[in-house]
Amino acid sequence: MSDNPEHTPRALDGRAPDVLRPGGWVPMRQYDEDDAVDFAIVGTGAGGGTLACKLAEYGFSVVALDAGPYWRPLDDFASDEHHQAKLYWTDERIVDGDNPLQLGANNSGKSVGGSTVHFAMVSLRFRPEWFKARSKLGYGVDWPLDWREMWRYYAEVENALKISGPVNYPWGPKRPRYPYRAHEVNAAGLVLAEGAEALGIAWSPTPLATVSAPRGRSPPCVYRGMCVIGCSTNAKQSVLITWLPRALKAGAEIRDLAMVGRVEHDKSGRVTGVRYHRRGRWRFQRAKNVVVAGYSIETPRLLLNSASSRYPDGLANSSGLVGKNLMVQANQAVWGIMEREIRAYKGPPSLAITEHWNYTDTGKDFFGGYAYMSQGPLPLVWSGVESSERGLWGQPLIDEMERYNHQVGLKIVGELMPQERNRVTLADERDQYGLPISRVTYSYCDNDKRLIAHSLAFMRQALEAAGATEIWDETDDTCHLNGTARMGDDPKTSVVNADCRSWDIPNLWICDGSVFPTVGGVNPSLTIQAIACRTADRIKALAARNEL
Amino acid sequence: MTRADPTLDLIANAALAGAAVLLVARPRLIARVARSPLLPTTRDVAVAAARLIAPPAPPPLHWRVAKVRELARLVGKYSPARLRSTRDIVKKAARRLNGSTALLAFLVLADSAVEHYRGSFANRAMYTPLAIAALTLAGSVFGLADARPNRHAVRDGIYAVAAVTGLAGLCFHAYNILKRPGGLSWLNLFYAAPIGAPFALTLAGLLGRGAERVRDVLPRRRPTILGMPAGRTLAAVSAVGLAGTVGEAGLLHFRGAFQDPAMVLPVTVPPVAAALLGAAALRPTLKTNRLARRWLKLTALLGMGGVGFHIFGVARNMGGWRNWSQNVLNGPPLPAPPSFTGLALAGLAALSLIEDETDA
Repeated sequence: MSDNPEHTPRALDGRAPDVLRPGGWVPMRQYDEDDAVDFAIVGTGAGGGTLACKLAEYGFSVVALDAGPYWRPLDDFASDEHHQAKLYWTDERIVDGDNPLQLGANNSGKSVGGSTVHFAMVSLRFRPEWFKARSKLGYGVDWPLDWREMWRYYAEVENALKISGPVNYPWGPKRPRYPYRAHEVNAAGLVLAEGAEALGIAWSPTPLATVSAPRGRSPPCVYRGMCVIGCSTNAKQSVLITWLPRALKAGAEIRDLAMVGRVEHDKSGRVTGVRYHRRGRWRFQRAKNVVVAGYSIETPRLLLNSASSRYPDGLANSSGLVGKNLMVQANQAVWGIMEREIRAYKGPPSLAITEHWNYTDTGKDFFGGYAYMSQGPLPLVWSGVESSERGLWGQPLIDEMERYNHQVGLKIVGELMPQERNRVTLADERDQYGLPISRVTYSYCDNDKRLIAHSLAFMRQALEAAGATEIWDETDDTCHLNGTARMGDDPKTSVVNADCRSWDIPNLWICDGSVFPTVGGVNPSLTIQAIACRTADRIKALAARNEL
Repeated sequence: MTRADPTLDLIANAALAGAAVLLVARPRLIARVARSPLLPTTRDVAVAAARLIAPPAPPPLHWRVAKVRELARLVGKYSPARLRSTRDIVKKAARRLNGSTALLAFLVLADSAVEHYRGSFANRAMYTPLAIAALTLAGSVFGLADARPNRHAVRDGIYAVAAVTGLAGLCFHAYNILKRPGGLSWLNLFYAAPIGAPFALTLAGLLGRGAERVRDVLPRRRPTILGMPAGRTLAAVSAVGLAGTVGEAGLLHFRGAFQDPAMVLPVTVPPVAAALLGAAALRPTLKTNRLARRWLKLTALLGMGGVGFHIFGVARNMGGWRNWSQNVLNGPPLPAPPSFTGLALAGLAALSLIEDETDA
């Protein structure tokens, strides 16, 4: 039998891969498809993987399904940008709108562990006011969550991932000490620091989900810099190597290469389980509850693809909002050349950060905020940027690549506004499973453009102040996905409530980045995991009161 | 008998000033230090002057009786075979000090070789500690082997250079920290040049100078340094050195997030030893000395055990010992923990001098 995890499932016969040992296995409990498990979870990323772990630890029977392979990073990851594209969700999709999104590397993942397998590990808390963006800051909508409660869940996640962060974080209310100390800041990060100090704003080493000291069988980060194509040493604290081993230990079953095509329901309208494709045929797993955690494109796609005579517009869609309010984050950059050697690819890509414009409300002509971070693009990505953004080709591209070790850049993660016109719908085309593929429509609004312009001008100043020359703007990039099944207090204006439970179907839950009503100016993974932890606690409390 | 030694005076005073700064947050301890015989008070000076003018009356009879009893007890405690003359005790202590100086010098040599190699010898001054530590090591081994009682001018000179080099290294390392963005920040304390490391060379120099002072006494005299009994001065220096090493281990183990529970040991055991040794320097009593001796022995063992923990720590890095050429540089520094051993051994030597002094 082939051991290519892209073709043959690994989590079979009572065992799952031991992700921390070459060729290793750990025992895995398995459930019968006809036994209704307490929770069938679709997706094992930041939302689904975290929730699977917490629910299993609370004693629920859990089957978590993922369309992606079950990697052992020590065996399966190469230091090769092309090869590692296997981690991205590159199935057929249609993109349109005024600013069609580029889907793949920095906004999707097709792996057990989801996109955390290749994320940049930046683990930031929301600014507290963002949870009440409408009432406190005058834009977007309010979340149904209280920041003080979220602060506790952030601490839980930071501890579960042993986040390596600064001793004192310069912005926002007091937070507990990060479990591990910050990493040494590389030369690219020090350029950010010099720029920030010259402009008189605070900067900080970035809190990262990669350990700066040994943790169990995770060695400390060795600064290879291949983080965003998959960490092959397991220093990165992804869902794959943190929550999921815990989930297996607590009795959860994980099914890899299992593509869920439909959530089924009974006559009463309650969901009964998931229809999924694995090992060459369609199967059905019964479940008392279904959690959809496929991220902002696959989650609405699954809900819309599950339309029935009872729910002709798709599941949980009485508000008509499933698929709407898709949000990405601005990911524009300024780049320049330093006389001294920088070698920006050394270490995690974003070792220094400033959240100044997330926490400062004056001097802005836009709503929302942005953080910017130092950058370490790998050579293939960098040559792609040079050719697509600056039109360099042939000898000029070769000449520019010779200066790779001297290039330096700053890049934002910027908050873009929720708009109903930005949405995921179903196209007529079908994918390899015979399922309608998604059409992803995206356009910036004027506020988005003002934020981007502000950030580019400011980062240009910062880079100049740090001594960079030949500065140019990369104007066309986005990252992360959020929204399409927003949470709220009102069934008419939201898809799920604060507990991630759908308003329409009480045993259908959505737990991933889709539930974000607004997106904030920080990378979303920590918030997704914090929401998953809160959801697990709420489910436990509801179950104790027999309200599931 | 006191020999004028302005260099040693200066350095020892700097060390004591450092200790005072460390203790700023603890006024009660400062008060104790201020009351201690290490720092002469106005009253001490006045009393000394008064004694010069009018020699004090002989001590009262009951005091003398008590002293005789104490002496009798001590004589009873030690078998005649083990009872050595002051000369023997002093000579042995001096060579033990040479020994701990040798150990410290070796550790500085190994540590600065590894760490400065890691830093690619970016500055040529980074070769200096290797050369000076090697000289100090050679001098100390010579001292250890040298059965002649007297001090040796070459050794003495090397030790002085080592002490000054360590202080210069502190300045270099402080500059390295402060020049980086963020200045005096946790990040730079963690990852820039380790602030406390060059201090080990200064300590080696100081203890080596001490060893030479102790050697160089006339028969039937007790060695003194800075006008103080040598044992107590050296105990104070060792205690300050232990405290500084605790600070260094604390900082770096904090950087490692105390991820292994054993990482707490070097910030719990040696501080007790340092405090007891300090107490013995200030006010030696039989009980303090005995306790100090025990904790110093424990600290010495811990220093050696620490190497084992650090070997394990290197193994926990990616590739383990198979990838030694990277991980020895990246992992916990192997030569660091035995600094505790070197200083604890110096402390034990100082204690035996103190006991000899107080047994008089």
